[in-house]
Amino acid sequence: MSWKAIHRWLGLAAGCLALVMGTTGVFLAVDPVVQARHASPAPPDLSVATLAERVQRAMPGVEEIRHLPSGAFVAYGFDGEQAQASYVDPQDGRVLANYRPSQLPRWVKNLHRSLLLDDAGRWGVAAIALAMALISFAGLVLLLRRMGGWRHLAGAVRGSLAQRLHVLVGRVVLVVLFLSSVTALYMSATTLGLLELDAGPEPDVVSVAGSQTALPGAQFPVLQGLDARALRKLNFPSAADPEDIWKVTTDRGQGWIDRYSGEILAWQDATIAQRVYDWAVVLHTGESAWPWAIALGLAGASIVLMWLSGLLIWWRARRQAVRIADNSALAQADVLVFVASEDGSTWGFVQALHDALVRCGHRVHTSGLENFQTTPATRHVLVLAATYGEGQAPTHARQALERIARLPRGSAPVAVLGFGDRQFPTFCAFAQAVEQVLRAQGWPMLLPLECIHQQSGQQFALWGEALAQALNEPLVLNYVPRVPPSTTLTLISRQDYPGQTDRPTAILRFQWYRRGWWDRLRGRGLAHFAAGDLVGIVAPGTGVPRYYSLASGTSDGFLEICVRLFQGGVCSTHLYGLQPGDTAEAFIRRNPGFALQGRRQPVVLIGAGTGVAPLAGFIRRNDRRVPMHLYYGGRDPALDFYFEPEIRRWLDEQRLASLQTQFSRVPGGGYVQEALRRDATRLRDLLKRGAIVRVCGSHPMGRDVAKALDEILGTLRLSVQQLKAKGRYAEDLF
Amino acid sequence: MSKPMSKPLLATTVAAACALALPALAHGRQLTLTTQLKNYGGDGAYLAVYLTDSKGAYARTLWVAGGKAKFYKHLADWNRLSVGDTKRLAGVTGASVGAGRTLKVTADLADALIDAGYEIRIDAAAEDMRDSPSDIRVPLTTQNAGKPQTGKQYVQTLTYQLK
Repeated sequence: MSWKAIHRWLGLAAGCLALVMGTTGVFLAVDPVVQARHASPAPPDLSVATLAERVQRAMPGVEEIRHLPSGAFVAYGFDGEQAQASYVDPQDGRVLANYRPSQLPRWVKNLHRSLLLDDAGRWGVAAIALAMALISFAGLVLLLRRMGGWRHLAGAVRGSLAQRLHVLVGRVVLVVLFLSSVTALYMSATTLGLLELDAGPEPDVVSVAGSQTALPGAQFPVLQGLDARALRKLNFPSAADPEDIWKVTTDRGQGWIDRYSGEILAWQDATIAQRVYDWAVVLHTGESAWPWAIALGLAGASIVLMWLSGLLIWWRARRQAVRIADNSALAQADVLVFVASEDGSTWGFVQALHDALVRCGHRVHTSGLENFQTTPATRHVLVLAATYGEGQAPTHARQALERIARLPRGSAPVAVLGFGDRQFPTFCAFAQAVEQVLRAQGWPMLLPLECIHQQSGQQFALWGEALAQALNEPLVLNYVPRVPPSTTLTLISRQDYPGQTDRPTAILRFQWYRRGWWDRLRGRGLAHFAAGDLVGIVAPGTGVPRYYSLASGTSDGFLEICVRLFQGGVCSTHLYGLQPGDTAEAFIRRNPGFALQGRRQPVVLIGAGTGVAPLAGFIRRNDRRVPMHLYYGGRDPALDFYFEPEIRRWLDEQRLASLQTQFSRVPGGGYVQEALRRDATRLRDLLKRGAIVRVCGSHPMGRDVAKALDEILGTLRLSVQQLKAKGRYAEDLF
Repeated sequence: MSKPMSKPLLATTVAAACALALPALAHGRQLTLTTQLKNYGGDGAYLAVYLTDSKGAYARTLWVAGGKAKFYKHLADWNRLSVGDTKRLAGVTGASVGAGRTLKVTADLADALIDAGYEIRIDAAAEDMRDSPSDIRVPLTTQNAGKPQTGKQYVQTLTYQLK
């Protein structure tokens, strides 16, 4: 079972009972805070002997003094027939307010630890604590995966409102919830008798009256040498029983003292289990540390929030999950289809393939690539793998390669179909990797590796024909494109750069209808986005979205892209033709490797042409004035210096630290890498200081920039490759 | 005392007659003890009902209310005195007794124990409240039978009958 499954199912099931623990916990956290108000700490030089004397003077019938975790001292005695318990001032033994152990009705505590069901309830609560510990731990694993490791743990969180709430609150309360559930388990174990706290049976000792009379405790060297701050409890001997003894309990153990001689008759050290228990109680209840009690109370309240947001996330994922119709069980299926796809775009092809195979009479089982395995019933295995980012595996299939390499070779022939985009140098890299591992393992191949460019339905149909031949069946693939749910955007303004007749360009600013918080919690409407993320635009009549880098984030209140008109490009023609008031259909696709995530290092931004758009977005939201340096390359400042007025203003506002431009179609012109070379000394200095680099533009431009930077970095024994590996260098190329 | 909740009790807990093999059982008498607790405003109380002899030494445990051994140290006198009795819990335990409730215990006693300086003692404790070892001590005499006695902190009245 994966950490995700553990987190989800335990969270949903045990989580609703944990709501009871959390809510009651909030109330129970009140006590330590109230107790702290009564605390009058012992002065450093106060001995137990002096304390006993003072209290005895103020309350002659005192039987017991307790030192509460809050630091307060409470004396127990009798007022005539009436038992009494009062706070006492350790400075002078003065009797203060009456002592009440708790401000709350008893049932709150009992509900918290046994659901009012006695021992059965205690076992139940212990089980919830165990579940909670597991949920928190799995949550940490998932959090690290999502944020990209410990170093980015504090980074910006993206996703739907419910997801962001879950992660933002989760990363704060996770440790508190884990600690309180582990300590709860320890406390349960002692109560349920699984752990023994006591050192052994109490010694049967009595005071032996010699010739002496009983002495007041103040005269015992043992008590004189004992610091009142270390005291837990002091029991006075009964006046009526001549054999009664003094009993003193400290952090370290307990002792029995003869009332005549003042000698210690017996001493028991506190067991390790007892000391651990004492710590567990402090950590779980916050008694003796009221700020911690407040933290615990807040963590308790957060369980409600975490459970509700978790429920919404699960519900939404369930609704959006691709459900393959007619999916056979693994053990019965003769054809297995395994899929790796980051954003679900490949699932449309999967369903088409699945349906076609079922129509041919096969029993087909389709699943994620991370579940790769075969059974005796398996006759054919088909793998459909999309590549994500720079040739990585999609997140859900991250361990798939290792898994396939671990499994023994199967006898069923395998065909791998890759999905990607030829514009990227890593076209279908992951599908290639999968195929290589399968070949290396010795799996027979049904078809050679085929790669589908930009989700081409035509190419897919051709592959279907090859498959039909290999299977010798009349297989026909009917692919209907699947697009993520889109939102309608309204164009509010456009800024035109019509000067270049071969490729007019415009900066388009859109607005969208904001949904209510309930819709946003459920992930309806436009997803949260930041500059550097991508917006997918679906032109009317086409099923295939085109992606544009975003020059703004949700917090800017508008959605801005820079669109260049390509002759014959359906999507750019659609966008370029929009006038204010017109609408477009759009959805957000995250670009986590590229977007800046609240880092504080200096940033080097390198952009050419419309590639400046996401960089402009970064600068616009640079409210913290991180030093950002922009290198901008274009053709002619009069024609294609996009965002120029804004960039000038951002320089004045110190959102942008420096600007270097290079234009190619002016006398003495050149490309942006020329500007880099010119500025080599400063760039070296910046990169030595840990600066991060973002490059956006065409593929050729990206290559040239990397080459120029490699030359510049040579003397530092650094390379673009190394920077990429550290996540300091990212490209968005088109 | 720090212990988790004890079961809020049945109005009366009836102890099975205990079959300790005391001598001269045939000539024994049946003791019925009724202990009414005060409304002390806390969770169910742990109680130890036991006998001590004329020298104050432990004789026999009649009943222990409350099931968790972890908390027996809060019944300090009984816990200390009965430490040598390995069978002190044999057949004489039940649930803790809620505030204001009544515990009824019966036991067969040898004649030799009555009017012989023996004492009935009850140690009591409840969570987050003060331990009360020897909350009540009543001499076991025919004369005292049927007369309610009051305890210190938890026991409202203790009445016993001898048959």
